[in-house]
Amino acid sequence: MLSIISLSLFGILNLFLGFLKSRRVLLPATLLFIALAFAANLLDWNHQYVYFRDMLRTNNLFINFSSIILLTTFLTVAISRSFGTDEEHTHPAEYYAIMLFSVVGALMMVGFENLIMLFIGLEILSVSLYVLTGSDKRSLRSNEAALKYFLMGSFATGIFLFGIALVYGATGSFNLSAIGSYVSGGPTTGISPLLYVGLLFILAGMLFKVSAAPFHFWTPDVYDGAPTLFTAFMSTVVKTAGFAALYRLLTVSFTGVYGLWWQVLTGVTVLTLLVGNITAVYQSSVKRMLAYSSVSHAGYLLIAVAAKTPQSPSAILFYSLAYSIATITGFAVLILVAEQKPIEGRPDERYEAFNGLAKRNPLLAFSLAVSMVSLAGIPLTAGFWGKFFVFSTAVDRGMTNMGMVLVVAVLMSVVGVYYYFRVIIASYLKTGDSEPIGIRPLYRFILVLTTALTIGLGLFPDVVRQLF
Amino acid sequence: MNTNYLPSDYLPIVVQLLAALGFIVGSMLVSHNIGPKRHSKKKDDPFECGIPTEGDARTPISVKYFLVAILFVLFDVEIIFLYPWAVNFLDWMKESREMAIAIFVEMILFMGLLLVGFYYIIRKGVLNWNQ
Repeated sequence: MLSIISLSLFGILNLFLGFLKSRRVLLPATLLFIALAFAANLLDWNHQYVYFRDMLRTNNLFINFSSIILLTTFLTVAISRSFGTDEEHTHPAEYYAIMLFSVVGALMMVGFENLIMLFIGLEILSVSLYVLTGSDKRSLRSNEAALKYFLMGSFATGIFLFGIALVYGATGSFNLSAIGSYVSGGPTTGISPLLYVGLLFILAGMLFKVSAAPFHFWTPDVYDGAPTLFTAFMSTVVKTAGFAALYRLLTVSFTGVYGLWWQVLTGVTVLTLLVGNITAVYQSSVKRMLAYSSVSHAGYLLIAVAAKTPQSPSAILFYSLAYSIATITGFAVLILVAEQKPIEGRPDERYEAFNGLAKRNPLLAFSLAVSMVSLAGIPLTAGFWGKFFVFSTAVDRGMTNMGMVLVVAVLMSVVGVYYYFRVIIASYLKTGDSEPIGIRPLYRFILVLTTALTIGLGLFPDVVRQLF
Repeated sequence: MNTNYLPSDYLPIVVQLLAALGFIVGSMLVSHNIGPKRHSKKKDDPFECGIPTEGDARTPISVKYFLVAILFVLFDVEIIFLYPWAVNFLDWMKESREMAIAIFVEMILFMGLLLVGFYYIIRKGVLNWNQ
């Protein structure tokens, strides 16, 4: 709770820091703010609090999820530098402040106890992201992405809100546990059909936000058009918060109708895995490939939600952590490599831009390789254990229920190896420019840190596992 | 108050809806079918009298107008929150003094955040028309 309050205040403070003459202070100040919020967040460890008449609840699961969100935000902010070449038309203070505000929304989505709070959190997160997507004001593609994201996102929000209204109509409450007791207690007249429709609408809205197929169509265009830094932010923070919210909503409120949403979710999972992985193969731009890869990872995370075993939350947590760290590394390297040789003023994000990267900067090539291997789920990296824990929840649920999903998931992981390794092959085996790429110390530190974390979690997954 | 409504109790709403729709569709059909139709170049022009049209209606307008308009709506809507709060405040006061004070502090916080935003806008020079 303290983290939510402090982040809101820090965001406002950040806006006013923008009035200072020097922009140098912004980055360290923002990093400090996030670190402070992270520390404030840990204060509540092993306590359970309920705030504002059952609006928000903080417990260890909340702290785990919000720590991952804050860590990813910290890493994303740390790899931010100048925002474009046009100094006059960029507003770094505002971008950082909006990022902090959107993290407030993400934390609300993790700790909600009331559907209204979930809606507010989701909107704070989404509206901030619409702005960040269009933050490259002079770029047509950025504008297009922001408009698409805004129109589709507000439509999804409308459907989501409609679902909440229908669930309220059926149960007479916005409270998660009150809805839960209505659903599982079984009212004498039977569960109202409104509830089923409402649940499906809510699912559609949430699945849109985490970009699961068939609600994924906005993802590649928006992720491609947004400035790469904010793409990294979107593809990690939104996913973590979205899955935390989805899991909490489905398990606390709708356990009683598991038979209904389980079928929907497995269908969506299979579709997401197929669409995400197979389409990613055909991309010629690394950024679009990473966008489709984020769709496919939504599919893997959905497996753990659909399985709904006691191990599911820790599997989701570990997977989000591994995925977020690897994705941020991937995007960080992409930012640096893409801006070396712009094509028509735009960063070069094709696979060819990575040719010969191992010679130009061995550290970049190595951390990129580790992150791609982790995303592909090869052993000795965090991504492997993430997939392992997710798949084992599905095995716990039983092969009759989840067998099909598991088969598709394993097959699609193999497909994933193909397109992730294309980047590694380009950077190690192909020859390209030999001009070395320089990195600033902070950037280097972050790359080393994320690479070490990915390998460390791959070797000793239990270190974090015990906390979850 | 009767709390058990049957679907048939909502019939007046349906009738009202049909009447409204019927009026629109009916009057459009009637006016299209009864009126005479004479097409000519001058008739089909958007303006058939006055000076000839010139240029595009979609001229760029200074972004300041939009900013001021949006800011007006923003502060206007937030001020509307004060009305229900003020109307109910005396009742809260009668109910419990502590709660009323807490609610008062909450409103002060809300207004404070609003003022911070206002200060930010002024510092940012949004309301400076000559800039």
